[in-house]
Amino acid sequence: MEGTNCDSEAYRAFRQSKFIPEFVHINELDRGKKRIGDYSAVFIPGGFSGGDYIRAGALFSARLRKHMPSIIRFVDSGRPVIGVCNGFQILADLGLLPDISGKQEREVALSVNKSGKFECRDTYLRVESDHKLIGSRYKKGDVALATVAHSEGRLIFRNEETNAEAEKRNLVLFRYSNQTGETAGYPWNPNGSAGDIAGLSNESGNVIGMMPHPERKLFVSRDHSVGKVFGQDFFSAIHDYAIKQ
Amino acid sequence: MPKNSHRNIVSIIGKNDKILVNLSTKLGLSLDLSEMKLLQGYFEKEGREPTDVELNAMAQAWSEHSCYKSSKFYLKKYFQDLKQDYVYLAMEDDAAVVKIDDEYSYVVKMESHNHPSAVEPYGGAATGVGGIIRDVLCMGAQPIALLDSLFFGDPAFHGSKNSMSTRSLFSGVVSGIRDYGNRVGIPTVSGSIFFHSSYNHNPLVNAGCVGVIKTRDVIRSRISEPDYLLLIAGGRTGRDGIHGVNFASRSIAHSEEDSKSVQLGNPIVEQPLIHAILEASEGGLIAGMKDLGGGGMSSAIGELVHSGGIGARIELEKVLLKEEGMEPWEIWVSESQERMLLALNPSYYDKIKKIFELWDIEYSVIGRTENGHRLSITYNGETVLDLDLGFMTSGLEYERPFEVNPPIRGTFLPSEPKDFNSTLLKMLSDPNIGSREPVVRQYDHTVRGSTLQGPLSGRTNCEGPTDASVISPQIRSGKSLVITSGSRPLIVAANPLNGSKYCVIEAAMNILSTGGRPHSIVDCLNFGSPTHKKVMGELIDSIKGISEAARELSLPVVSGNVSLYNSYRSENIIPTPVILMIGLLDKSENIVSQFIPKEGLGIYVAGRLVSSLNGSAYEHSLDKESHDIDKPDLKEVKDFMARIPGCVEKGLIAAMHDISDGGLGVALAEMCLGYGIGMNVDIGGTGFGTPSQKLFSELGSRLLIAADPSKEELLRKEMGELRLTRIGTSGGSKMEISHNSVPIIDLSVKEMRESFSSALTALV
Repeated sequence: MEGTNCDSEAYRAFRQSKFIPEFVHINELDRGKKRIGDYSAVFIPGGFSGGDYIRAGALFSARLRKHMPSIIRFVDSGRPVIGVCNGFQILADLGLLPDISGKQEREVALSVNKSGKFECRDTYLRVESDHKLIGSRYKKGDVALATVAHSEGRLIFRNEETNAEAEKRNLVLFRYSNQTGETAGYPWNPNGSAGDIAGLSNESGNVIGMMPHPERKLFVSRDHSVGKVFGQDFFSAIHDYAIKQ
Repeated sequence: MPKNSHRNIVSIIGKNDKILVNLSTKLGLSLDLSEMKLLQGYFEKEGREPTDVELNAMAQAWSEHSCYKSSKFYLKKYFQDLKQDYVYLAMEDDAAVVKIDDEYSYVVKMESHNHPSAVEPYGGAATGVGGIIRDVLCMGAQPIALLDSLFFGDPAFHGSKNSMSTRSLFSGVVSGIRDYGNRVGIPTVSGSIFFHSSYNHNPLVNAGCVGVIKTRDVIRSRISEPDYLLLIAGGRTGRDGIHGVNFASRSIAHSEEDSKSVQLGNPIVEQPLIHAILEASEGGLIAGMKDLGGGGMSSAIGELVHSGGIGARIELEKVLLKEEGMEPWEIWVSESQERMLLALNPSYYDKIKKIFELWDIEYSVIGRTENGHRLSITYNGETVLDLDLGFMTSGLEYERPFEVNPPIRGTFLPSEPKDFNSTLLKMLSDPNIGSREPVVRQYDHTVRGSTLQGPLSGRTNCEGPTDASVISPQIRSGKSLVITSGSRPLIVAANPLNGSKYCVIEAAMNILSTGGRPHSIVDCLNFGSPTHKKVMGELIDSIKGISEAARELSLPVVSGNVSLYNSYRSENIIPTPVILMIGLLDKSENIVSQFIPKEGLGIYVAGRLVSSLNGSAYEHSLDKESHDIDKPDLKEVKDFMARIPGCVEKGLIAAMHDISDGGLGVALAEMCLGYGIGMNVDIGGTGFGTPSQKLFSELGSRLLIAADPSKEELLRKEMGELRLTRIGTSGGSKMEISHNSVPIIDLSVKEMRESFSSALTALV
């Protein structure tokens, strides 16, 4: 919808990993011209949907809520649903992440960065689980260069129990770290997220959300000292998963 | 006259001078007596009195902002023949189109939004960004990069009765650029920030945009077919931004009237508008297009049809409005944002309608083109404007009196500082030199995923500032665009002619040191009031300087903007020509880092030293100013342009940085930043002069190069006759500088970084 703006690079990322991507405008869902169920993966890109004037992602998720039955059917079918940045905020708002209760309740919020500022910078991610969506390319303990750009990315759990439960069920997918994989505070953790969390998964592992933008790191870095990159490999991993479906 | 008529006749025929001047003031036209008399003469000949719509239309057409009446003569004289065969459109349409390869072109434009930003920094800067994006979009191009050159008063200026403090202006402008650019999803990748007390009441906001398009898909800012639909899409028309161009064409008064002329921006209208327009443009549905910017419909419609050699009939009541009760003249000159004017073959109407509906874009057909040369406008059936387009869009052209200050010869020769360490640290923390990171991090410079090198690079969380940004236009040939913009106001103030050449040189050197080849020049000329002879002299000299540099370097000047009346109570800003330069890079793997990537590299200075501190940041820091800047050696720059890309392609250069603000000392320190690797150098052999001249001179054109010593032989061969001096070796975590074996600087990279990072802390 208006304000969603990381679409062209996401399209490129999917195309380069052998998907046949298609843009779907929320109006096309509303008007019944396209149906979520017809696709093999859903990616909600970043941006400032609706301007983010109320709360990041609030307007977009309000419009998606009308399609909740078909979204839930899609999720239950095991096909991947991925939200990046604004997309993560939207999935959190819809209660699809981490969805510990299984009732699509809002359990986490992505609130204003601790610095109070928009933060456009590189950092590193530590992969926290051998996850079924990305496992073909990223193993638990891997550390990869990633990029963030947001002003509302500080993950907050609804309460202590939710936080503990998310950790217990291994729903934390990525944490911000330094290059050697240690959590190291600001600016490595650019927003002050609880537990340095950068990305979450649902329990069945097919819905994931993260603040960093893999679609912005498609080109190969000239600087080989950076190590693994959270970029094109992420999309190739999703493709590896999708073709096995 | 029928009841409720909106046709308001203004009586000017036979009126005396005093009444004419009063009318101009009362109606907010900003026209002077001679211009009012021209209008009087025209309507006498027409045998009727004008309407208020007609007077307003003419006032905006004749404003400095719209017709460049004070600068046009000189722009034509000096810039007209600066073309290269790869230039597709220069100085004609809303933005320049320059070919990258056989298939694609980049589209580029830079514009000032100085006056609005002075009275309403947030809105002024935001709409400056929105407007420049539409200038690129209206050529049919996908905008891919934004940049801003900003100039503010003394950081310590606390404001006055009528003017805001530098801190509030700074924070307003930066927030405005951030909130518009980030939301609209175009990366802000480059730019410059400069502080000087002459901008206390007149900050400058110059916004630039670069786009990419298949050359054969370029949409012209003109229409030649009759009976085509004229359609306005995007935002609605409101009372915001009335008389913006007239305001921008006089000195700032900082009054309430000034604030009303600032437009309001809404990036969430612009963002889907970009999508919709590009979709329509790819489908070949748009015959001609213009952005509604300064002067609103009045300027856009007149220019669109007149440059295509036809006329038009407009029904003003068809325009979608934000509020009721707007007078026809207000609708006609409103500068409300996010509006595009499209000329359309009527048979494509249904197709474009579908696109706008998908993106929730509001639009309305407001008129049609027709044969002839007249523009006629009706409002609910009544004619409110009926003018010959030749007269309406003709514009005025002045050759205002000017004087050029003779150079005052003299070289600034300070006594040597007792402690070079503290002098260098102080320079690194100078707001004009130190890190822009607190600002740059707030701009999204990676959205669109095509930023190969942004404003910062180096090891993560150790990054330093780059000389230029590199953006991939995502085209088959794999070529990238190298983008930089900035000015050298202290050197231009010292000598506008030679100083302006230095602005062009610095841009070219920035592109070379990033690995690119300079390709084209866009200028944005910010000066004081043209009614002052001295300012006219500065403007003419500056245009001449840019022209001479461009000619010598075989670079085309493809687009330009002039902002005059940057003055307050007869105090003018220092002359500020901003140069935006685009370079091309054939292969992205050839991007050159500005930072020493490893130990054991040879450190070299390329180019000849000009041992003069005139116009330098060092001189300014000692509160001195001089007026003697020698003609730069453009031949040497040309040699650099011929030689450096070859060295880069052959892989002979590990890192490279141009020597400019703060001189060699600051450049060496900056080179240590990105990876935290130090060096040990002796600057004795860099030329003839005192240690402070060698460390802080900003004249001449020089590059710092880090290279593998085993490749020195090859590098020297490739550099030809260019002077190349090895000054030392990289390594360690300190920067140690000696002068003929006498140690003068010994600083850790850490303490240099701390000083460098502190430059803007008082403002952000």
